[in-house]
Amino acid sequence: MNKSAFPNKYLPYVLLIPTFVILVVFLFYPAVETFRLSFYKVNPFSGAARFAGLYNFKNLFTNPAYLKSFFRSAVFAVGVVLVGLVLSLLLALLLNQKVKGAQVYRSLLIWPYALSPAIAGALFNFMFNPANGLMGYFTGIRTWLTHGNTALFVIILAAMWKNLGYNIVFYLTALRNIPTDALEAASIDGAGPIKRFFFITFTFLSPMTFFLLVMNTIYAYFASFGLIDVLTEGGPAGATNILIYQLYRDFFVNSRVGYAAAESLMLFMLVVLLTIVQFKTTERKVYYQ
Amino acid sequence: MKKLMSMLLVLFVSASFVFASGTQEAAVDADAPVTIQFWHAMSGDRIDLIQGIVDDFMAENPNITVEVQYSGSYDDTLNKVTSAFKAGNAPHVFHSYEIGTLGLIKSGITVALDDLAQKYDEPIDWDAFFGPIESYYKYQGLHYSMPFNTSSPLVYYNKTLFKKAGLDPENPPQTYSAIRDAAIALKKSGIDTPITWNLNAWYFEQMHYLQDAPYVNNQNGRGKELPTKILINQKPGKIALDWWIQMYRDGLFMDVGPGWSNHRAAFGAGEAAMIMSSSSDVNLLTKSLSEKGWEMGTGYLPRPEGAKGGVAIGGGSLWITDNHTPEEELAALKLVKYISSDKPQMAWHKGTGYFPVRTTAMDKLEKEGWFVDNPNYRKAFDQLLDSPSTLNTAGALLGVFPDARAIIESQIQECYAGKDVQKALDDATKEINALIAEWNEVIAY
Repeated sequence: MNKSAFPNKYLPYVLLIPTFVILVVFLFYPAVETFRLSFYKVNPFSGAARFAGLYNFKNLFTNPAYLKSFFRSAVFAVGVVLVGLVLSLLLALLLNQKVKGAQVYRSLLIWPYALSPAIAGALFNFMFNPANGLMGYFTGIRTWLTHGNTALFVIILAAMWKNLGYNIVFYLTALRNIPTDALEAASIDGAGPIKRFFFITFTFLSPMTFFLLVMNTIYAYFASFGLIDVLTEGGPAGATNILIYQLYRDFFVNSRVGYAAAESLMLFMLVVLLTIVQFKTTERKVYYQ
Repeated sequence: MKKLMSMLLVLFVSASFVFASGTQEAAVDADAPVTIQFWHAMSGDRIDLIQGIVDDFMAENPNITVEVQYSGSYDDTLNKVTSAFKAGNAPHVFHSYEIGTLGLIKSGITVALDDLAQKYDEPIDWDAFFGPIESYYKYQGLHYSMPFNTSSPLVYYNKTLFKKAGLDPENPPQTYSAIRDAAIALKKSGIDTPITWNLNAWYFEQMHYLQDAPYVNNQNGRGKELPTKILINQKPGKIALDWWIQMYRDGLFMDVGPGWSNHRAAFGAGEAAMIMSSSSDVNLLTKSLSEKGWEMGTGYLPRPEGAKGGVAIGGGSLWITDNHTPEEELAALKLVKYISSDKPQMAWHKGTGYFPVRTTAMDKLEKEGWFVDNPNYRKAFDQLLDSPSTLNTAGALLGVFPDARAIIESQIQECYAGKDVQKALDDATKEINALIAEWNEVIAY
């Protein structure tokens, strides 16, 4: 018999109300409103709106800058997610060794995650800016941020570095939970460290890798506009103008509410699509204990 | 008898006028305690500076309490104000950038300053303001907001490096070809990229005004009709951008990207010997050069040979929002009037490097000997006062300014990467004109 802990059958719902109110006010209502406004032209001050059909979407997809932004965002996301996950797994493996001072390294590596994007941006500007950046001094190349592809590279580097701490923490936890008997059994069977890693460790890490893949994709698509605002403002010539940054500008700077809503909807659909694809293709390979 | 009758009539009429204005004033209790909010967009130590000015105001007007709030950047402030207005609790006074002027005039959330001044019989002495500052904020005969922090671009150059290159350190170049020649001489003396300024369409706008050319149609956006077209792909824009891009392509100009720190850093490190920047950077740049033992000079913005225009001002102004009680409106009006008066403006100028907005404040500074000790401040004033007063040098008004700037800046970067200048300007024009059409439509909703 599964007896409920609550004496009153309405009480659970009453207790859920605060959460639900927050979700409705800050999540559901804005989402519905965004969906609605993407079909409207909106006055930037009064908010007065008139139905405009697919006007905003038509504008969006006939704008070459937007299509370019789609492509640059994809390159950015792949860079941040792939390089970020490989590097953080590598670092987590090293940190999991019994070396002297591992705790100190661990704390130091997690630090970047605690920085605000603006500060991280300022740090990278300090290194890469064309006027007196450190990298200009060391490499003789000043144009890191003023040439399209190198600027994108720096942005990927900064965004990836910033999220490294987050990934490392999760990987470390997952590494701690790998049953040692499985590893020992493999050793006895004669598997070397590389085989052990790929067949045992990595298999046990797959749920965490999958979780981080989804989280990092969302991070790359949604949470990196602060960095870009500080470092390049989307330039040079749109090279680092990823979708979320253009969206931020169109809503908060240019006050084009309807257009921004349409962009927001497209971005939302894109990330939902990506997540579904990830679940369909990758989750099958995930091994749950 | 007839004469007496008409005299009586005149008396009666004038008396009723006096009475009428008397009753109107009586409707407002000017001494009633009142609290107003003031949101501004100046960060850092300027927060304290503004608080100090407001404290002085409250000391003079004990019945008025002003709650001052730093509300983030101009963009943030504008967004917060519009949201607050919709919710019915907008701040009485807020601070906005100059490029937001046309939008705010048409927004329906603000009241024209001149209308309020007349309503409460608190006249504003616009003759005491600097001409270019006053005319920027005047739209079809009415002043809508109170000029506050005002600046213009200025040329800064390193006198020490000029001397080293065999250039006259007391006569900075003032034309396109003279700047180019100076840059070539500086490059020969060993400075790899002698000239730079940050990527900001503000300079490109000024390059139009310096040729006395409009930036947008319909009288530079100041006519009866809203502007419908940006005019950057005409001859003046082409001349200016050709000069700029050619210096980049010849390796004389350093591309430092957007933002306001890189070009200052390049100048401070001696990587560049000549830059353009805001006149409010005088303090900062003088200091950073003297740390290296270098002397700094300031000069007028360059123009093509024979061009007869001038510079327009930039910066921000103070707006009063609609839908408040008469007592609150009067208090808000008194506050912005006070902030534009001489004493606070002098303190503001000394603390920030922005212009004082009134000639009277300027005269007082002169009497104090301020410019003897700070000669580089002088040049920005002179440049402003030497500018002829036309609709072009008053500066363009445009609803989609932030967006237009971003588009132009992106096209300039395409030119750095090799795109044809005329093609870039044509592309930008097309894109911006479409935005203007959309804005003109939605602003009428």
